[in-house]
Amino acid sequence: MATPQAAAAGPGEQQIQANAAAMLEQRRQRRYLVKALLRSPTFMTGFVIVLFWVFMALFSTFLTQSPTDIDAMAILQAPSAAHWFGTDDLGRDVLARTMAGARTVLVIAPLATILALLWGGIIGLVSGFYRGYTDEIIMRLVDVLLALPIIITSILVLSLLGKSVAIVIVVIGALFTPVVSRTIRAAVIGEREREYVMAARLRGERSAFVMAREILPNITQPIIVEGTIRLGYAVFTAATLSFLGFGLVPPSPDWGLTIATERIFLQIAPWTVLFPAAALATLVVGVNLITDGLSRVFSK
Amino acid sequence: MSAVEQPANSPDAAPAALDVRDLEVTFHRRGRDLPVLKGVTLRIARGEAYGLVGESGCGKTTLAMAALRYLAANGTVDAGRVLVDGQDLSTLSEEAVRKWRGEQIAMVYQDPATALSPAMRIGDQVAEVFRYHEGLGKAESLERARESLRRVALPDPDATLRRYPFELSGGQQQRVVIAMALAVNPHLLVLDEPTTGLDATVEAEILDLIEELRGRINAAILLITHNLGLVRRLCERVGVLYAGRLVEEGPARDIFTDPRHPYTMGLMRCVPRFGMNKTDAALQTIPGTLPALGEPLQGCVYSARCPMAKPVCSRREPDLYAWPGDAGAKGATEAEAMPADPAAYSPHHANPVGEAARHARCYFSADVAEMPRMTPVLATSLEARGGTEGDVLEIGDVSRTFKDGRKRLTAVHDVSLSLKRGETFGLVGESGSGKTTLAKCVTGLIAPDSGSVTFEGMTLRATAGRRSQDALRAIQMVFQNPDSTLNPAWSTRAILTRAVRKLGAGGGSVRAKVDKLSADVRVEPRFLLQRPTDLSGGQKQRIAIARAFAGDPTLVICDEPASALDVSVQASILNLLVELQTNERVSYVFISHDLAVVRYISDRIGVMYLAELIEVGSAEEVFNPPHHPYTEALLSSIPKLDFDSQQQRIPLRGTMPSLSEPPSGCRFHTRCHRILGDICVNDVPPFQEAAGGHTYQCHIPPDELLALQTATEPAAPIEV
Repeated sequence: MATPQAAAAGPGEQQIQANAAAMLEQRRQRRYLVKALLRSPTFMTGFVIVLFWVFMALFSTFLTQSPTDIDAMAILQAPSAAHWFGTDDLGRDVLARTMAGARTVLVIAPLATILALLWGGIIGLVSGFYRGYTDEIIMRLVDVLLALPIIITSILVLSLLGKSVAIVIVVIGALFTPVVSRTIRAAVIGEREREYVMAARLRGERSAFVMAREILPNITQPIIVEGTIRLGYAVFTAATLSFLGFGLVPPSPDWGLTIATERIFLQIAPWTVLFPAAALATLVVGVNLITDGLSRVFSK
Repeated sequence: MSAVEQPANSPDAAPAALDVRDLEVTFHRRGRDLPVLKGVTLRIARGEAYGLVGESGCGKTTLAMAALRYLAANGTVDAGRVLVDGQDLSTLSEEAVRKWRGEQIAMVYQDPATALSPAMRIGDQVAEVFRYHEGLGKAESLERARESLRRVALPDPDATLRRYPFELSGGQQQRVVIAMALAVNPHLLVLDEPTTGLDATVEAEILDLIEELRGRINAAILLITHNLGLVRRLCERVGVLYAGRLVEEGPARDIFTDPRHPYTMGLMRCVPRFGMNKTDAALQTIPGTLPALGEPLQGCVYSARCPMAKPVCSRREPDLYAWPGDAGAKGATEAEAMPADPAAYSPHHANPVGEAARHARCYFSADVAEMPRMTPVLATSLEARGGTEGDVLEIGDVSRTFKDGRKRLTAVHDVSLSLKRGETFGLVGESGSGKTTLAKCVTGLIAPDSGSVTFEGMTLRATAGRRSQDALRAIQMVFQNPDSTLNPAWSTRAILTRAVRKLGAGGGSVRAKVDKLSADVRVEPRFLLQRPTDLSGGQKQRIAIARAFAGDPTLVICDEPASALDVSVQASILNLLVELQTNERVSYVFISHDLAVVRYISDRIGVMYLAELIEVGSAEEVFNPPHHPYTEALLSSIPKLDFDSQQQRIPLRGTMPSLSEPPSGCRFHTRCHRILGDICVNDVPPFQEAAGGHTYQCHIPPDELLALQTATEPAAPIEV
């Protein structure tokens, strides 16, 4: 800054230069996080895998054959030049179905995760912020919910409420809420004793303001990490539920559903099951790699 | 010892304990090279204690780490070499260095809690040193561990061996760390801020221990600290580091009585001398801030902040010249004649080894004694600040108990005090004495169990949430930790704007008020755009002060507002508080463990011990006899800078009793050096009035106490 030009500039200009420098510094900090993520092989691998499936979910119909077209002349054919992944019991192209199968899971899992973050976030904030009896009661309820086996509970609830995709999303979101609320509660407890929160209380701020505006912006990193962890599990749970016959019905190319309907041919035409199963596995691994990369960069 | 290599041009026959030559260390961070140490040369003779001082970020710890080959992975030694006991560490293998370090060097860090494994018993941890380095068996090594605990004067070594670190106090933990450090009879003992974070009385005990051990061990000491008083007490020689450069070096006594570098002088002037008060003299601060790591500097590293800098200083860097001598002036003449071309400049460093006893990196060392003083605002008298207008705050019999499992810890017990308008009430006492809890009871962050807080004649609600906005506006607080006092997610301007919106007394635009506040605390407007993480500790604390003043408060509670800051920054924060008080006629409750600081800023002082206020009086009265024996012991424990002050240390016996089971009678009787006998054990002492408004809680009447405390004979601790 101590160049002759700066010294010659008027006070107003100096002010503008200084402001610009301050803003640049802030942008530099944010860019550093992004750069660190781009440089992390773990994050990038996961990111590429997930990006691949998102791309396929959106555009696979333009690239492959139709996932629902039945070809009675080509039933249970092994992988070949015409059908790279082979065909299923109705003569449908397994490649087309596998690629298109990403669509349902990539709608259900993220929406369920967002619901879980929203509900868990509110419960965790309230519980961690108020502590005392509020915290005790909420956390004991959370303990009870955590003790429920996820799959059995969701089957019961879905049998009761109906099997639509929307209900599957809500049920997964609700079942993940207790775990999320615990993570967020722990993060809130770490922040609430900090001096800036005491300063807010001495200013007469309402509790809702302190939670939403003072504490929440400072716990975004644990929230993001928790979100990606839940996303991985949500992919898994959504697939399991459709495997069990909830949420989706044939002829949807959904992976879980496909594995369920084709598994009787596992002995004679293993490609009908293995490709959707492998697709599911890569997506879960991809999401988990993103989680790992994020938490490593954040903890630095 | 005979096998080790002799340093090339050492004048002495025996190799120095530590011999650092032209050491250059660079850190690599985010793709940038940041030079941390630039051509540092120093030499510690065997058995010598060397103090390394300077503000944080000057490279003190890096120097020690580089010397021990402990540098972090992103740091490299670019030039120079380090000989420890004549041995060049860089030539050894990783494994050999580890073995060698264990046998020759010991380190004691700032935080004893992190130096000890929380999962291991003390005995096992200390014994491990003997098992690993001397190959002793289990029983034998435990026996040696017991011996070494006895050596550091830990009470009941047998019981301590069986304890876990969390069962010991901070002072005891540090004793264990020192015991482990000395277990191998090291040739070099590195103490990195060994007493920072410990109470004054504990600090004094640790210093006594180190001093006492020095007579028995043959180790050289490298003491790294920001506390000049500590160096003055322990060290024969001292080096002053600034921005990676050694700027002054020599015998501690000479440097502290007659500094010859403007930075050393600045450091000495910004610490309040003991007994100094804000109405006598303002603290001298060092203008500007430490250059950021890697910032290109031309000429003298200190020239940008130096009050006596001349054009030549920023043209060519001065060498480390011998003092006394005319070399500095000669260098300046040469530099004046040089063309102002940075390319022509080549750094060269005078090598102090074996030359003169003192060196200073300054052209104008001769003028340092007359370094110009700044004239910051001097505090006005209490009367001018409104002190005659009556009491602003009245605390009546406030108590607060916390539950810890089944134990009930009374943190504040029946404390009463009052505060006048414009007055500063200093609150001192060791950690755990209840200072902060009392302060939080006043602000409403903690609700007292009983007692009342009356403010301007109105009894306040117990918690902040139930108080009116007017009551909140009137009582604000400045917190201790600059890193958590501001919300890191908000910009500085947003923080102040919100404070003005919620607390501002109306009238005028919010924006104008924010600008005025930041101008009042001397924060440049450009910093308002930044987030707290981009500000220095001093700037953060200034913003926190501005936030507290947003609603023109009547009372501001300052809980250790400057203790986490470097001394020069601390001085400027204290000056700022004094200035704001003079202008705004605000009252302060000022909490600090630094007695010189409290004495400087306070009009009246209260001393807390074990949840009770045991002495109250004017700052001068409390700090002079007759005063409570506890106050007497506290005061005697501070390491002072003046060489000629006769200091009698009064060691406190034992450790602080538990708050859940305070001692009977006088709470201080278990540690008191002036204990009378059963009366102290059985009867709660009365408050004795020593002078108008000066009272203390003790069985000894003022005239007797005065006679005892002014007697030349040191008081011998009496065993009960």
